[in-house]
Amino acid sequence: MPRKAKDEINEEKKVKKINSTKDSSAKSTSKKATSTKSSGTKSTSKKATSTKSSSSKSTSKKAHSTKNSNSKEVSSKTSVKRKTASRVSSKSNSVQNIKASILEYYDLPYRYNKTVVKLLAQTPNTLFVYWDISDEDKEKYIEQYGEFFFNDTKPVLVIHNNTKNYAFEVDINDFANSWYIHVLDSDCDYSVELGRRPINKYAKSPDFLQISSSNDIQSPNDHILFDGLNNNIYFRNVKTNITIKKDISLSFLSRIGKVYDIKDFYENMYKDEYIDFDRLDFKRLPSS
Amino acid sequence: MNEPKGYVSFVLHAHLPFIHHPESEDYLEEQWLYEAISETYIPLLLNFQKLVEEKVDFRITMSMTPPLLNMLDNELLQKRYIKYLKKHIELAKKEIERTSDNNKINELSQYYLKRYTNDLHIFKDVYKCNLINGFKHFQDIGVLEIITCGATHGYFPILYVTEQTVKAQIAVGVQTYEKYFGKKPRGIWLPECGYVPEADKYLKEFGIEYAITESHGILYANPTPIYGTYSPIVSPIGITCFGRDMESSRQVWSSINGYPGDFNYREFYRDIGYDAPYDYIKPYIAHNGIRVHTGIKYHRITGKTGEKDVYNLQWAEDSAQMQAGHFMNSRIKQINEATKYMDKPPIILCPYDAELYGHWWYEGPYWLYILFKKIYFDQNDFKLITPGEYIDKFPEIQISTPCRSSWGANGYSEVWLNETNDYVHKHLHDAGEKMVELAHSFINEGNPLKIKVLNQCARELLLAQSSDWLFIITNGTMVDYAKKRIKDHIGRFNKLYEQIKSNNIDEEFLTSIEEKDCIFPEINFKVYF
Repeated sequence: MPRKAKDEINEEKKVKKINSTKDSSAKSTSKKATSTKSSGTKSTSKKATSTKSSSSKSTSKKAHSTKNSNSKEVSSKTSVKRKTASRVSSKSNSVQNIKASILEYYDLPYRYNKTVVKLLAQTPNTLFVYWDISDEDKEKYIEQYGEFFFNDTKPVLVIHNNTKNYAFEVDINDFANSWYIHVLDSDCDYSVELGRRPINKYAKSPDFLQISSSNDIQSPNDHILFDGLNNNIYFRNVKTNITIKKDISLSFLSRIGKVYDIKDFYENMYKDEYIDFDRLDFKRLPSS
Repeated sequence: MNEPKGYVSFVLHAHLPFIHHPESEDYLEEQWLYEAISETYIPLLLNFQKLVEEKVDFRITMSMTPPLLNMLDNELLQKRYIKYLKKHIELAKKEIERTSDNNKINELSQYYLKRYTNDLHIFKDVYKCNLINGFKHFQDIGVLEIITCGATHGYFPILYVTEQTVKAQIAVGVQTYEKYFGKKPRGIWLPECGYVPEADKYLKEFGIEYAITESHGILYANPTPIYGTYSPIVSPIGITCFGRDMESSRQVWSSINGYPGDFNYREFYRDIGYDAPYDYIKPYIAHNGIRVHTGIKYHRITGKTGEKDVYNLQWAEDSAQMQAGHFMNSRIKQINEATKYMDKPPIILCPYDAELYGHWWYEGPYWLYILFKKIYFDQNDFKLITPGEYIDKFPEIQISTPCRSSWGANGYSEVWLNETNDYVHKHLHDAGEKMVELAHSFINEGNPLKIKVLNQCARELLLAQSSDWLFIITNGTMVDYAKKRIKDHIGRFNKLYEQIKSNNIDEEFLTSIEEKDCIFPEINFKVYF
């Protein structure tokens, strides 16, 4: 972690404290966790300012995206070549190496036009999922279920807890491409299906259509597993690789256990150093 | 000498993201390196040297991350550091004149002049501009154990969605270590202490014996480790994991009564970069005229007040000595308590950001020096040890799978995955998948130009994966720079990807980014196979 960044945070905070404390709370409401990165505004064009030397052929670079509901600019900026100002020292006229440097400008592609569902674990009780459906796949569904398929159906996420064998569903919307999902059980294996359900009974599509499913992810554990021990404790000699069983009670842990509250630990230790969690407001999640 | 009742292990994590801009000297972020060299790395080396000269038997462990090693080894950055020092020497000389009417401050400006002049001497004459050899020396004589880290500090718990990218982080981390230290690393500092069991097999594959995790990486492990963090555990695959001791961390870190907040210590925020008259200080602050830290600071923390007294070196040293005594006594107490319930000597693992020592906590390196001396001369209850030595002494370790965890705020992945930075991951994952695809389709490639493109793709991907960018975005300062770096590396990666796929390689472009993103000169893209 760059310490510097931390320092500056502190500095900022100091100033903040003096000026006003309300500032942060005001901020926290403004942003929603449902990242509805609306498709409308973002320019997808990858302004790959490709640089041409005197000789070369022109490479006008196409943007990644193929869909273009909102007249996306697929500009390829004119190539620029710049000479870094060769510094001429005032005393001597010695000119340093004149180096050609290439001007570059990049924007992140809005999408990659692939059908993906990726699932990540943010905390023991919060998963993050992002997804996309390729244009090709979209057309496939339209071909199969009619041109109003995406109007007649709504997207849903089905969250599967594969450890405890249950599933639940979250309604999402077609403006979103990612979602935070609250889950009750930590330390469990999860996966997510992206699918669609008909909005009305006239729709031609099936009751549930699976579009794609995610990778599996294990949500982290969030407590001491006092019960999971059964006095069967195995030791391995890492030099000889010999494993032995020992019968040892948990008396040690329960005596020293008072310092083992991680939350309390973090709250005390990082009171000022780290992130202002009120500002980020991780607790306010839209789903479930 | 009797066997001690327990052990204490200091682990300092030295890391900075790779910042290298041959195209411009205007990037303020580049100064992170110079500040860290002057305030942390050189002071640590000097204090190690003093301890050796005073025949103090000490042990310390440091992770030196691959980006940091690449920067310390970079000729341009070495030259720029010398330039930075010369400017500081010039400024310190001016300061001696400017402060001549105030005795106390004047003494301090003379101290800074001496200090920067000495830095220049140490850097140029003693270490021949390469501090890596300085650290290597202490490893070679057995007082320092250096461990490695992920190649660019990529955060494993999120990257491992594309597993080969985690494998590559580990592989390149190990290769970089071997290049600079001439042997394999025994241990790894997992980037941000981000532990996932899935990475164990790759750690094993590349010969890693042990990793450092956050406290609950051990405490919440399965089955429950019977000694808490007072002993390491070994994962079923065979990676030994040491967890951070909470009590000692709290003592150093706590914002309320942590050591660095002592009123006699140097006040970080009072810097002549902000305090001195604008026209006077202008040549020494940011190119665009924005006031920034210079490193010359004259005040002590003093108290919870805006009025700051002048810093007094002697008082600061007195405080450091007192705190070192307090730290040592607290560990003795802790160890005596723990041994009552254990059948082997406990280990107390104290991991910190290296840059805490010196840069943030100015007196930190001195505190360590005093502490190590006290531990050696003033008590017999515990000894300093490295994790590697502890494994050698006590190889019988409880088998348990560590808990998925990190040392970021709240202990999991929130810092690197939240509403401010979650948009980044799809780009990292997509580029990761493309890189794996390239490695497979070009595995037998013989064309040198194409191999260069493939290797540069690997560098761009690795640089995009630095957890630092996500951290900076979360923290909300220097955000533009972090966002630009993600865009640049993803942009360059995708451009190269298309060029090689369409067999239309722009050599001039390739050369230009090879020069900028010159990390890992020996990288082989096949690590993604």
